[in-house]
Amino acid sequence: MIAFEHVGKRYGGRFEALADINFSVQRGEMVFLTGHSGAGKSSLLRLIMRLERPSRGRILVAGYDIDRLHYSQVPFYRRQIGVVFQDHQLLSDRDVFSNVALPLEIQGVEPHEAARRVRAALDKVGLLHREKALPIELSGGEQQRIGIARAVVNKPALLLADEPTGNLDPQLSADIMRLFEDFNRIGTTVMIASHDLALIARLRHRVLRLREGRLIADEHAAREVV
Amino acid sequence: MTSGASRRSEKRVPEAAAPRRGARVQRTGLDSRVRAWSRHHRAMARDSAFRLARRPLGSLLTMVAIAIALILPCALWLVMDSAKVLDTELDESATLTVYLSASLGERQAMDIAETLRAQPGVAGARLVTAAEGMAEFQQALGLEDALSELEENPLPASIIVSPRDVSPQAVNGLGEQLDEVEGVDEVRLDLAWLERLNRLAELGQRLTLALGVLFGLGVLLIVGNTIRLAVESRRQEIEVVTLIGATHAFVRRPFLYSGAWYGLGGGMLAWAILSLGRQWLAAPVQALAQSYGATFVMPSLGLEGSAILLVSSTLLGWLGSWMAVSRHLKDIRPR
Repeated sequence: MIAFEHVGKRYGGRFEALADINFSVQRGEMVFLTGHSGAGKSSLLRLIMRLERPSRGRILVAGYDIDRLHYSQVPFYRRQIGVVFQDHQLLSDRDVFSNVALPLEIQGVEPHEAARRVRAALDKVGLLHREKALPIELSGGEQQRIGIARAVVNKPALLLADEPTGNLDPQLSADIMRLFEDFNRIGTTVMIASHDLALIARLRHRVLRLREGRLIADEHAAREVV
Repeated sequence: MTSGASRRSEKRVPEAAAPRRGARVQRTGLDSRVRAWSRHHRAMARDSAFRLARRPLGSLLTMVAIAIALILPCALWLVMDSAKVLDTELDESATLTVYLSASLGERQAMDIAETLRAQPGVAGARLVTAAEGMAEFQQALGLEDALSELEENPLPASIIVSPRDVSPQAVNGLGEQLDEVEGVDEVRLDLAWLERLNRLAELGQRLTLALGVLFGLGVLLIVGNTIRLAVESRRQEIEVVTLIGATHAFVRRPFLYSGAWYGLGGGMLAWAILSLGRQWLAAPVQALAQSYGATFVMPSLGLEGSAILLVSSTLLGWLGSWMAVSRHLKDIRPR
């Protein structure tokens, strides 16, 4: 699903955010990306979302060399990726329903079909009863679940999350992670950047560890290779 | 994505589809894409109108600014247009005066008038006999007593010739031609004012064009600035929709509609102000014209002019918005 081949990323020609990153993620895998802040987690996710282009190497996502995409194809590429942000990035002037419907609106899905899918996604995250609420009326955990509903509403093959539990207490964090596991169970490839090591350790999924822009470990928690 | 067709057929097989779900660019039919496109257009046209209505004062001020920029060139154009009406009237009065030799009798004068009438460049010729000339002269000057002292009429007979072609060159040529005719003493033509008038008309046209271009640019800038602020205030929304796969056209669309609405509103305001101004000025202009013994029809935009005004103001709004959005979308890159 994702393959990095000798990927490097420099900013402004000097600062090396990522250096010689090699890994591949299979379709249907669930992977954690960890490391201190500044280790390059966000840069790596931004490369996958093609918000940045690598300075070196090649990135394949779902078989595309994404650096070769014409800029007019980029929006269509992004529609295949669901993204969850730490600060959830909900639009404050739209209610929960329209926030979740946004990706479908962009793709031009018929309103009737869109409504059905939005409700299905809201039901999945357990917030169907809040569809009329404005984001500001929701708790942090609820807001994050709306962010997840929006990320999965168009059934993306790949779900990326950047510190999705960064602002949540442990109980809520565990709930959110379980939600990601549910989506992973039905075939979605999931990649989560997080520095919540205790939580990651409990969940027993593959972990990619970054330090100062280098991939220092690629370990399967289940095998206890520390 | 070369095997699009075979992949699409897989879509219908649940087992094959399950693990691959969503792994391809979603291909939807052209028909449904067109429907989605026009649905989004309608939604954005509505949405941007609501956004304008939600800030009535700010929107109105922008429209007033646009209207003011539109009114000046429009008003000048109207003045030029009415001057054109005046111009044709003056063209009709553009005549040559052919003075005949004083020695000629009335009979010969009539013959010459006949000859002139037959000339190709002549539209009409009216003979003014020496006596008639004297009468007109006396009436015009009110010098009846003084002139009646004269023993004999010093005025020659003359023929007033209306040329077919009133352009200065043609009139000039005709004058030379008529001068050749036997019995003609002198041909008088006042080309200077004809030329002056033509120059003035040209100047007016160029001025209108230049002002039109300048103020059109003004409208672009007014709309551009308003839209720039709108883009700035919806920055987060733009970032988010870009992240989840919105095309530039999708992001641009609501702003383009806002710009078009501003333009249309400004155009309508300009139209209303021009109509009001026309009514307000009608009475004094009419009185002024009457004092010159002329009838003067106040110029109006008419149906065609109104349509041109509204369409071009809408287009200017759209274009101004397009320029502003395109420029600022480059600055907005999701963090």
